[in-house]
Parts: sequence; C-alpha cells; structure tokens
Amino acid sequence: MFEVMVGAKRRRLRLAFLYGVSILLVVFILFPFYWVFRSSLMGEEDLFSRPIVWLTRHPTLDNYRYVFTGEIPTSYQVKGLMRSRVSQETRYILGALKNSTVVAVSVTLVNLIFGTPAAYVFARMRFRGSLRVYQFILMSRLLPAVAIAIPYYLIIKWVGLLDTYLGLILVYSAITLPFSVWYLTLYFRSVPASMEEAGLVDGCTRLQALRFVLAPVAAPGITAAAAFAFMAVYNEFLFGLMLTQTIKSRTMPVLIAGISTNPDVSYALLCVCITLAIIPPVILALLLRQYITRGLLTTISK
Amino acid sequence: MFGRSRVLMAAVLALTCCFVAGTGYASGNVDLTFTAWSYGVETVNDNIAKFEQMYPGIKVAFSDFSWFDYHDIMATRFFSKTPTDVCYSSDHWLQEWAAAGWIVPLEDYFPWVRESKAEFAKYAVEGMTYNGKLYGVPYYADLMIFIYNEEMLKKAGFNQPPKTWEELAEQAKAMKAKGICNYPIIFEFGQQEGAANEVLISMVYSRKDGHMFNGLEPVFNKPGSAAAKTLEWITEGMQKSKIIDPASLTMAEIELVKSMQSGQHAFTILPKYNLAELNNPASSKLAGKFKMALMPGDTHETVGYVRFYAMTKMAVDRGKDVVDAVGKFIQYFGGKTNGKYIVEKRWAVEKGLGFAQLPLYDDPDVVKAINSWGDVKLELEQAKLARAKEGLSPFYGTWDLFVRTELHKAYLGQQSPQQVLDTCAKKWNEMRKK
Amino acid sequence: MSPVGVSGRGTLASSTPMISGRREKPFLLVVPTLGIVLCFTVFPIGYALVLSLRRFLLTQPWDTSFVGLRNYWEVITSDYFRASIASTFKFAALAVVCVLIYGGLVGLLLDARLWTSRLLQVLILLPWAIPPAIAGIMWKWIFHADYGAVNGFLVGLGLLKDYFPWLSTPSTARTCLVIAHVWKEGSLAAVLVLAGLQTIPRELRDAIFCDGGGPWTYFRHVVIPFLKPTLLVIAIYETMIAILTFDLVYVMTGGGPGNATALVSWYAYIESFRFLNFGHGAALSFTIAAVILVMILVYLRVLKTEEVY
Repeated sequence: MFEVMVGAKRRRLRLAFLYGVSILLVVFILFPFYWVFRSSLMGEEDLFSRPIVWLTRHPTLDNYRYVFTGEIPTSYQVKGLMRSRVSQETRYILGALKNSTVVAVSVTLVNLIFGTPAAYVFARMRFRGSLRVYQFILMSRLLPAVAIAIPYYLIIKWVGLLDTYLGLILVYSAITLPFSVWYLTLYFRSVPASMEEAGLVDGCTRLQALRFVLAPVAAPGITAAAAFAFMAVYNEFLFGLMLTQTIKSRTMPVLIAGISTNPDVSYALLCVCITLAIIPPVILALLLRQYITRGLLTTISK
Repeated sequence: MFGRSRVLMAAVLALTCCFVAGTGYASGNVDLTFTAWSYGVETVNDNIAKFEQMYPGIKVAFSDFSWFDYHDIMATRFFSKTPTDVCYSSDHWLQEWAAAGWIVPLEDYFPWVRESKAEFAKYAVEGMTYNGKLYGVPYYADLMIFIYNEEMLKKAGFNQPPKTWEELAEQAKAMKAKGICNYPIIFEFGQQEGAANEVLISMVYSRKDGHMFNGLEPVFNKPGSAAAKTLEWITEGMQKSKIIDPASLTMAEIELVKSMQSGQHAFTILPKYNLAELNNPASSKLAGKFKMALMPGDTHETVGYVRFYAMTKMAVDRGKDVVDAVGKFIQYFGGKTNGKYIVEKRWAVEKGLGFAQLPLYDDPDVVKAINSWGDVKLELEQAKLARAKEGLSPFYGTWDLFVRTELHKAYLGQQSPQQVLDTCAKKWNEMRKK
Repeated sequence: MSPVGVSGRGTLASSTPMISGRREKPFLLVVPTLGIVLCFTVFPIGYALVLSLRRFLLTQPWDTSFVGLRNYWEVITSDYFRASIASTFKFAALAVVCVLIYGGLVGLLLDARLWTSRLLQVLILLPWAIPPAIAGIMWKWIFHADYGAVNGFLVGLGLLKDYFPWLSTPSTARTCLVIAHVWKEGSLAAVLVLAGLQTIPRELRDAIFCDGGGPWTYFRHVVIPFLKPTLLVIAIYETMIAILTFDLVYVMTGGGPGNATALVSWYAYIESFRFLNFGHGAALSFTIAAVILVMILVYLRVLKTEEVY
C-alpha cells in the first residue's frame, strides 16, 4: 500500500521513514539474541565493565568448550588458591536439550496422530454429543496452569511417572491437544469438502480420505499445528519444574531458569546455554515460517 | 454409543496404567535418595562417588533443584511422599519441616551427633535445634559480613572503614559528593533473595538493644527500636541522601557480587563466602580490593546462619538399614571421617564456603585459603559476635517472604517505616494464632 | 497453554456437507484425544475444587477441615488481591495497547513492498519461538541497573546522565515488563495482522487508487474495516494472555519492587507455591478462571454482533 504516493519528494521521504522504522524494528527484534550471543563469547570479567563492550575484541570459544568437555575456561581458571565459581550445572544443557527435544517431538506426534483425526471428525462429521465433546475439549484449557499443577503432580506421581519422559508427554499432550484440535478443525473447514467426497465416492474410508486427499491439501495447516505444539512444549516451564527431578528428564527452560537464579551462576556460561537452547526453535521457526504464516492466514481469513 | 465410549475410556485408562513402572530395590543394597539445591553439583557428585566407594553397599540417587524453588519443591515432595531420605535444609525452614513431621531429630538416631555439638559454632547449633533436639549436621554455615572497597575508601580520603551506621552514611555522602561513585552503598533486597531479610537483621543486631523478637513476641515494631532505626536509616539513604542504590530492590546475592565487581559501589553486606568470589582474580578486575570489617554499629553483632543435612521421616519409615545408611551419609558429608571433616574442608578450600565445624579453623590449608581472600582473625572475631536469627518458629519462613514485599514499601517511600513494621508485626501475630 | 483454544467459536458448523449412510464410527477417532484430555481434566479440576473449599496449608498437614467459601472470601477481600487487580489492570491495558500498535505497525511493514519486509518476515517469528522464561532472563539483563545494555546505550549517547535502575522503580519496572512482553507477544499479532491485510482483495486496492484516493483514504476506508475483526481477536486474546502472564514475572521482577508487578497470576502462584496455602491458591485460580470465562462469553457475543465470522 505504501508504494503508491503522490509526488516524488513526499514519496522518498515516506520511504525513508518506512525504512527507518523497519530497521529500528529489526534491531529491536534481534538485539536480545545478539546480546546473549556476544556474552557467550566473552570472559566473565569483561561482562560487567563500564563503558559497555558492544563488540568483544577477543572472542573466545572457551565457554562453549567448557559446556561440551568440562575443561575450565581460562577466564575462570585458578589464579591464586581459589578457582572462580563456575556454574557446573551448565554442563547438563545438552542433556536438557535432548530431553526437551524428545518430549516435544513425541508430543507433536501425539498431536498429529490423535489430534488430526479428531479435528477431522469435528470438521466433517457428527455423532451424538459431538458438539458437547468439542466444547469440552476446548473448555478444558480454561483453568490457569497454577491451579492444576499440584493435581497434575499427584496424578503423575500416583502412576509412578515422575521424572520420566512419559509423564511429561502425557501432561503436555493433554495441554496441547485442545489447541491443535481447535486449530485443525477450523483449518479443515476452510478446505472445500467436495474434494474428499470424490475420494469417498471412489470407496475410500474416512481415514483414507483424510490421509490421501485432505492431508496433502491441508499440509500447511497441519505443519503449523505441529509447530505450535512443538514450540509450546519445548518452551513450557511450570509443569516442567514440577514434574522433573533430575537431569534424566529435566527440560531446558527449567534447567536454564535454575542456573540463572543459582548462587553460583556464571553469566557467560549461562549465555552459552541460552544460545544452544534457542538454536532448535529458531531454526524451526525459520524453516516453517511459510507454513506458520500461511496456516494462520487461512484460518483467520476464512 | 455411550456404553461403548465407557469401555473405550476404561481401555485408555488401563493403557495408561500399563506404563506404571515397578520400582524394586536390589537386595542387600540400600538405595538412598538425596536432594539438594543446585550448587557445585559436580563437586557433590564427586563426593557421592567417593562415598559410594567407601560404602559399596549404598547407592545414592542425587536430585538437585534451584535454590529459589527448593523450599516449594521440597514441601511438595514431602506432602506427596515422593521418596526422599536425606536433604539439605535451612535454619529458617527447620521448625516448619519438623513441626509438619517431615524431618526427624538426628540425635535420637545417631549418638555421635550429640557429641559433635560441642565442635559446632553456637549460632549454628541454635539454628538446627527444635524443641531442644538437634535436627541437622551443618552443610555450611556463615555470617553476614560488612564488605568495603578499600581503594574507593582511600580515594575518598578515609583510612578506616566505618565503625557506626552514622559514620557509614558520612563516608558514603563524601564519596558521592566527590563523584567517586553515584551510589556508594548497595544491598541484596530483591524479593527472590533469601538473604534479603538477613541483611536487615544483621544491621539490627549490630545496634544497641538490637533485637527483632523477645521469644516469639515481636519487639521490632516498638517505636525507637533498633529495627525502626535501621529501617529509617535505609529509607533515608534511599529516598533523601540517595547513597543507597535503588537497584538494591532487584538484587540477589550473585548479582550484587557482580555489581560490586563492576566497581560502582563501595559498601555492602553479604554472606561471608562471597568475599572469596569478590577477591577472585578470575572473575574480577578489582580482586584484592575488597575487605571485610566488623559490622558497623554499637555492638558489632551480626547474623550467623546455617544450612544443614536433615533426615526425613520417609527414611525412618523405610527401616533400620536405610536409617543406618543415612547416618553414614550425614557423617561422611557433615561429620568426621577418620577423625577429619573431609567434605566440609573441601567446600571451604575449593569454594570458600563458611563452616560451623570449628576445628577446621586449626587446619593450615583452610587458614591459608581464607587468608588468600579474607582475614581469618577478623573472621573469627566476627564469628564470636554472631547470633542465630530470633523468632525462629514453624511459620518463620512464610513470614519472611511476606516481609520482603512489605519492606520494599518503606524503601520506596510508599509507606512510613513504622507503618511497615506494624504491618509485619500484625501479620506475625496473625500467623502465630493460627 | 494458550487460551486461544477456547476463544474460537465453540460451535460446529452445520454448513459443511455431511456424508451419511456409511457405517462409520466417528466417535472412535475422537476417543484418544478425549481420553487424554479427560484424564487430565476431571480429576485435577475436581481436586482443585476440593482444595479451594478446605483449609489447606501444606505446612500444617494435620488440619484440612472443610471451610466452605471462606478461602474465596479471604482471597477476594485481601489487600493483595486488590493491589494485584490494580497492577494486573494497568499491565494488561498497557500490554494490549502496545501489542496492538506494535503488531499493527509490524504487520503493515510486513505487507509493504520494501526490501526490509522480507527480512522482517524472516525475523518476526524468532521472539515467538523462544521460551518466555528465557526471554525474561534476556530482558532482565538488558535492563540491568549496573551492567545493562539499555543503560550503556543511553549513557553512551548522553541521553541519560547516569545508569538508572529500571527494574527497581515501580512505574519503569512495569514498562520494562511490557516491553519484554510486547517483544515476545507482538510476533503473533503481527503475523495475524499480515494475514488480515492479505484478505483485502487486490481489486479493492486498485480501485481506490484509480479514484484518486491517497494512502490515508485507503487506510481509513479499507484497511481499518478489513482489519477490525483481526484486531478484535488480538485484543481479546492478548487480554487473556496478559491476565495469565506468569513466566515473565517469575524471572524478571519476582513481583517487585514492592508489589508493582505482582500480577494476579503471579499472586496465585505465590499463594500456592511460596506460601503453600493451596486452599487460597485454588480459590484464586477459580476466580481468575471465572473472570476469563466471562470475558470469553462477552467476546463471543461481540464477535457475533460484529458479524465477523
């Protein structure tokens, strides 16, 4: 809309203004990422200097090496009798990333395997009480997480699944499925039913029609739903805090929030953890950007 | 339709139950569950490995939780009976945990604990005692101490650290006037910070008649009390003379240490072991500039606190073998092995943690370590002037949380110090009644 | 998770053609989802309801007597509730307005044909993709009083005389929280606005310009009406998100200074997990849920009268 303007001078001014605002926004969006990354390449003692070091002149990978191998970065090494405090928990980040990824991928699969057919049913079919069931599934997310955290803990403890992947997967499935079902129901309904009807006439079953006719057409929506589920789980904090006990199952946000509040936190190492932790979702967001945007677009604009 | 759905529901439930894993213990061996807050976890793991080597029949499962969440997570574990045999605890939670029946008095189970009392600092023993019985063996114990930046002090033209609070205010004002720094004083008053109130209490203790409670009766809210004077002094420094950094309100211990290391502040109060970090060349360009002084005030008294190993009721319920194993564990970690406090010494030398096991002060390695970042003589002198927190009771921890928010209102000038102290006393009396 | 799940239409379309006559068992396809949701709904809510009607202090396990609605009464009449309602209201109002402006602005720029638009399209989802807890840690550090980038930047440019403790002053602490919140939440809003903009038919754009109307006419008479439903959805969704904001407070301010950022969800958290008064915590949670439910009903009604969907 901005490209059509009256008068070349006004047009140029306006363009300059728009570019200016755009660039400011780019800086605003990227700055926190840059800041963390910068800090991960510095020695601890340089992080707190005044004036601020915007760009370190001596970047070092020492901090990364510590997280991967346990070799103490030179900036923390013994000088005098004592070694500096080093957040030893940062060495667990790889394990925590693995836990978060395994759990998030599993929950995404649960969402796809169970949520897609359910959404398909709500979009295309009816059974006695289907409206009630649909509304129930949606309404189940109404209570603030704080209210159900303790009962969730008790359930998972009773079935003996504390500190296990399965416990997390169950809980996260329960809290992501409603959104996926709602989202996919809307999405499927935006796809004309006539397409599958042809398939059904050819003798497909409903599931086959979903798999071979609807799913390819609705791929952007399904991908977006999967991405939403993955992100929601990968980023969740409160239930992760309650349900995990050791690094066997501890998820990334819980580990990082813990490190950042511990009395022996080393910020440079914490920044390494954060950098490593945000790589997977950032890559995913970049890869699936088209799908997520298109998926939202279809749902909203119908 | 409905009947079928019920069958299906049952099937789903049954499937869920199939995942329930049975937990069995290997015969002849004892499995212990040990929970701690996350601090030096690799060191802890290493200590556990050594312990397991010494006692091959005992296997220790270690879980750690963030210090900020530790109390809440432990309460949830106790409530839900999540297996936990031995754990860290702290003086301000002791009575709550003991009264709820979550932890048990160690002296009833292990005779050596009673004997070693004599070797523990007095304030630590007091902090671990409930109804006359000792519930813990120290993991570490420390003092709240006054710390100053010697270089900045000299730059401002003072040769001696302040002896009283008035003198501190004067020195700070001079520093501010000379432009040496904008906020000479900074404290860790962040609401998440467990030591926030201990800082305040140490300032109260150092004044004449410095008491918070008489037994369980609040005296801090009496007009003109040491607490009222302290609160007025802080408010004045924050609101009027602006010698105390308002950022204090968000500071936690570790952030405060980093802020001191950035060289923008000259005075603070911290748990003593932080002096080791402040004077560490690896993490600070100002290493060596930070000195400890006796707490300013009339009596120079301060708070001594203790964090300790406790045995849970759950361990006792599991039987004699488990209790024996817990005893060995606690003795190895907090007591003596072959006549020596090995783990405690390791914490003191490697991390600079304070200790309540007094004989360690005679250990040349420990003395050398302390002198490399502090002053063992001064430390001992301050330790003699340390007192446990007053008013320790089952509801102390909860009250402590409440107070942190309320005190902010005074620091921010939203309410008068007296108003705030009255609110805190009212809350105390309310909780006491319950 | 996101309350968007309940904010959509709670009805099933009757417009889509149904194919019947086959012996299909659609219910079977819903069972696994329903089963999982049911297991984690009925018991927890029932349990929380029981908690809210009992005296339930975790630290005093010996007394869990039934107290009726007393927890609700105590919670609603407490000073803290009143204070937290006030700060939640201030926060939510500021946050929703800022997210709308930010989302609208970024959405327009995403839709514009500038080379930066493509760049923004790539970058805009990044804040959305990372955990709120981590976003909080990042921003807390950027706003830090002694070594924060904001202070370094402003002082470096001479805009500020000395480092300022942004998170220690009630009003600026709230603003900082809103900035971090907008940074994270604005992404989705911007993408939604973009989606809304792209529904404007091409012919309509061309027609306007042929008639000699400028960008402003276009904006007022085409963009705004077309975006209205989207903006409404965003506003209501963001209001709910703002009321439920918790992670950010947890890592950034811990409710302080004083109780300036102690939002109502944060208060529900500390009642349960810090003060371990589960009775109060559950009662407060149900109260919040009731408020949100009312909001959703109002929202559905508004959408209906707007004839949006």
